[in-house]
Amino acid sequence: MSHRIATHHPEPILIRVDGAEVTALPGEMLASALLAADQPVFRADLEGQARGMFCNMGTCGECFVTVEALGRPPRRLRACLVPVELGMEVWRG
Amino acid sequence: MSGMFDLAIVGGGPAGQAAAQIACAAGLGVVMLDEQPRMGGQILRQPPSTLGVRDWLPGATYDDLKAQLHRSEALPGLDWRGGVSVLGLFRDADGFQLLATGRDGRLTIAARRVLVAAGCYDMPTAFPGWTLPGVMSAGGVQAFLKSQQVVPGKRFVLAGTHPLQLLVADQLRKAGADVAGVHFAQGLGAMVGQLLRDPLLPLGNLRPFRDAAAAFVNLRRAGVAVRFGQRLVRAIGSERLEAAEFADGTRIACDVLATCYGFLPQADLPRQAGCAMQRCERTGGLAAVIDRWQRSSVQGLSAAGETTGVAGAEVALREGRLAAIGILLADGLLSESEAERRAAPIRRELAKLQRFADLLARIADPRTAIAGLADDATILCRCEDVTRGALIRAIRATAGPEDASALKLVSRAGMGVCQGRSCEHAVRALLAEQGAAPGGGFTARFPARPVAIADLID
Amino acid sequence: MTAVDVLIVGGGLTGCATAWHLAERGASVMLVEAGELNGGASGQNAGSLHFQIERRFLENGPALAEQASRVLALNRLAIQDWRALDQQFGPAMEIVMHGGLMVAESDAEVALLERKAAREAEFGVPTQLLDGAGVAAIAPYLSPGIRAATWLADEGHANPRTITRLLAARAIEGGAEVRSHTRLADIGRSAIGFQVTLASGEGREQVRADRVLLATGAATMRTGVLFNLHLPVFPAGLTMTATERTAPMIGHLVQHVGRRLSMKQAESGNILIGGGWASRLQRGETGFDLSRPATIDPEALRANLKAAADTVPRVAALNIIRSWTGIVALTADQLPLVGAVSRVPGLYVAAGGSGFTLGPTFARLLAAEMAGERGGDGELALFSPDRFDHLNGFMG
Repeated sequence: MSHRIATHHPEPILIRVDGAEVTALPGEMLASALLAADQPVFRADLEGQARGMFCNMGTCGECFVTVEALGRPPRRLRACLVPVELGMEVWRG
Repeated sequence: MSGMFDLAIVGGGPAGQAAAQIACAAGLGVVMLDEQPRMGGQILRQPPSTLGVRDWLPGATYDDLKAQLHRSEALPGLDWRGGVSVLGLFRDADGFQLLATGRDGRLTIAARRVLVAAGCYDMPTAFPGWTLPGVMSAGGVQAFLKSQQVVPGKRFVLAGTHPLQLLVADQLRKAGADVAGVHFAQGLGAMVGQLLRDPLLPLGNLRPFRDAAAAFVNLRRAGVAVRFGQRLVRAIGSERLEAAEFADGTRIACDVLATCYGFLPQADLPRQAGCAMQRCERTGGLAAVIDRWQRSSVQGLSAAGETTGVAGAEVALREGRLAAIGILLADGLLSESEAERRAAPIRRELAKLQRFADLLARIADPRTAIAGLADDATILCRCEDVTRGALIRAIRATAGPEDASALKLVSRAGMGVCQGRSCEHAVRALLAEQGAAPGGGFTARFPARPVAIADLID
Repeated sequence: MTAVDVLIVGGGLTGCATAWHLAERGASVMLVEAGELNGGASGQNAGSLHFQIERRFLENGPALAEQASRVLALNRLAIQDWRALDQQFGPAMEIVMHGGLMVAESDAEVALLERKAAREAEFGVPTQLLDGAGVAAIAPYLSPGIRAATWLADEGHANPRTITRLLAARAIEGGAEVRSHTRLADIGRSAIGFQVTLASGEGREQVRADRVLLATGAATMRTGVLFNLHLPVFPAGLTMTATERTAPMIGHLVQHVGRRLSMKQAESGNILIGGGWASRLQRGETGFDLSRPATIDPEALRANLKAAADTVPRVAALNIIRSWTGIVALTADQLPLVGAVSRVPGLYVAAGGSGFTLGPTFARLLAAEMAGERGGDGELALFSPDRFDHLNGFMG
């Protein structure tokens, strides 16, 4: 189980991941919110095998998710590079 | 568009910062672009300003770099663009057009010259089970700690050949993680042997070695096992990682396995632009070939830091300085003699540091450790799920492909979202193993990072 | 010295397919390729199987359109040839012929479609003209702005990355010798054929060949020099783009009559976007340098993607992962250059225009002609290189 170590942080916000609420800290990346919520699976490969984060620096593409932020059209983005926003909707897979 | 910049720097790490300071001081209009929201590069990947952090990256190694970072963030005249991915470099009559995307969509930057200081990334190493959630690169795990203040799991196993894993393990331990062990595939004797090969190197003066030694002592004191000659062979789990298995049959339960076998240059942009590249001997990465002023083979395009070969932050920041001096020289802002005078001490330091970098590369040499790790069912291309066996069948087919680019087209390895960054080195090694000539690697294509059609055309 | 009935120069689709057909007929065949097999336009194109009149034929005035539409006779044969390949090679070639649409938005475009459909009917290509509702019923993924389309049930796509090598493998199994990284260094002619000097990493070698086929695509002008001939084929750089994989969305080949656009979804799920947007050829000392890839023109690329998103709005949200360039060959009258070169007996050429869609047909017809089979319908007459023989009045 992952955990956060920041000494203080703003009020957590809620985002929705595949329809379920996930608590996130303003400013952190979507990938961090998912791991902190013990959700390490980001997609399934062509054989249906689970895949998760790998490089965490925007290079490998394992963390692509579909993100719909308020007021913006949906995009396929790397979760390790997307700061969470209030009202964000995320779909994995 | 914001007019024409004199210099666009891709990458906000030590090399880019060092170059920006010199270029801005000389009055050049400089823009710096980086995928991360804040300046720092991977070595100083900063947490968001919203989070409170106690004692962020303590230690002498980081102190000088942090001082440079703070100066760079306050640099007047530097146009900082964080959260921006550069997709491609296009030459035109005036210099370059950089096509990029960020949160607000497409960005076009015009610049007379470009410095690519894009850093490096962990060498992805394929072994059975490495695609399970929980198997991560050590650099990726460290970035969660450094920049996100997240311990990305409960029980950690580190394995590989690179001494960085000692630092990551120590940082994890300090953050309250359960570190089940650090595993070097090579024996301690081999590592010490490399150190003794060049007995005149004053290692104690060199921070990476001092830091690794300190981390080693800390880990031992805390009761964390640091094992040598323990070669990782397999990750075990079904939906997610459950254990790491070693060559002697030992299995260690864990939910994160951080692998640490070395680093590959981030070089998509110079490759796209047609720069001459050279192969890194031990990792198989491709690095930009540069001259004594850090200029690539493409007019107006310079490179500094790990993009030219992985040698660490201390080398990177000096290469950044050298690149900027070279640009001032080319712009006629410095005379030949003045440029040489300023470059001379930097070159002396680089020569010394390069010896340490070479030593570290020899110690961390991954080749023996990873040879034969992947079996035929192991996926080498994570994006397109291409196994080692499928690649071998493609190579051996009648009228089969002979070089890496041709193998890519037939097998799809390297055709997915990462465009081969994860598998290219392994595909080239496999071709060589099968008796073919891998050639120069996959042809690098636009865009360097995936981008939505709508964001490009708006 | 090695002696062969036929030496084929160029390891692209047409060269490899011709080698296969000739080997099956029992001819001794050698194929040489200067680089990797399938390294040129055969492997770089986006794999469209388009049998309607091409837009490029319609954008240069009615006279050229009139002449160029005569290629339709060949398109009809190409439909049969691709179906035959699908049967002979199975799924490895990823040949999909689920139909194709050429769409129109404006009144002028609709009128152009109508004229095009009439011409296609004349040549026996069974195109159907659909109105907006008809299009929407077949292809609901298209923009509501699409007011009409011509539908051809045989169109589709195939995998250009694998087909040529599969053909080469069959040729080798049939006895052909295929050598990559081997170039034509010199040619001598005698009463009994060609004395060819080949050069490779292993040195030089002499080969005697009764007949030579140049299937060298955009490099044909240069290979013609070895025969002291002008083979007027001009290189042009094109751009293509692939999106990330996505769930099935586009079931057909989609082209646009008024804009440069072709789109289809490959078996892998990636959507491939092209349609004739330029890339920039690199300059060399004495002309275009075809040994280096053409470079992307970002404005052309964006215009191509805009046409795609206007036509299939859902692709706008998809990421592109790769744009690549290829170098194709064009002729002055837009028709391919295929057949015997009368000025040099024994020399054949196949280059220029729609080489992927028509390559299997060129190969089949050329193989028959080179094997001396009679009784064909003169299908290739229209494409004879002799139509440019006036350029070679002082050559040969």
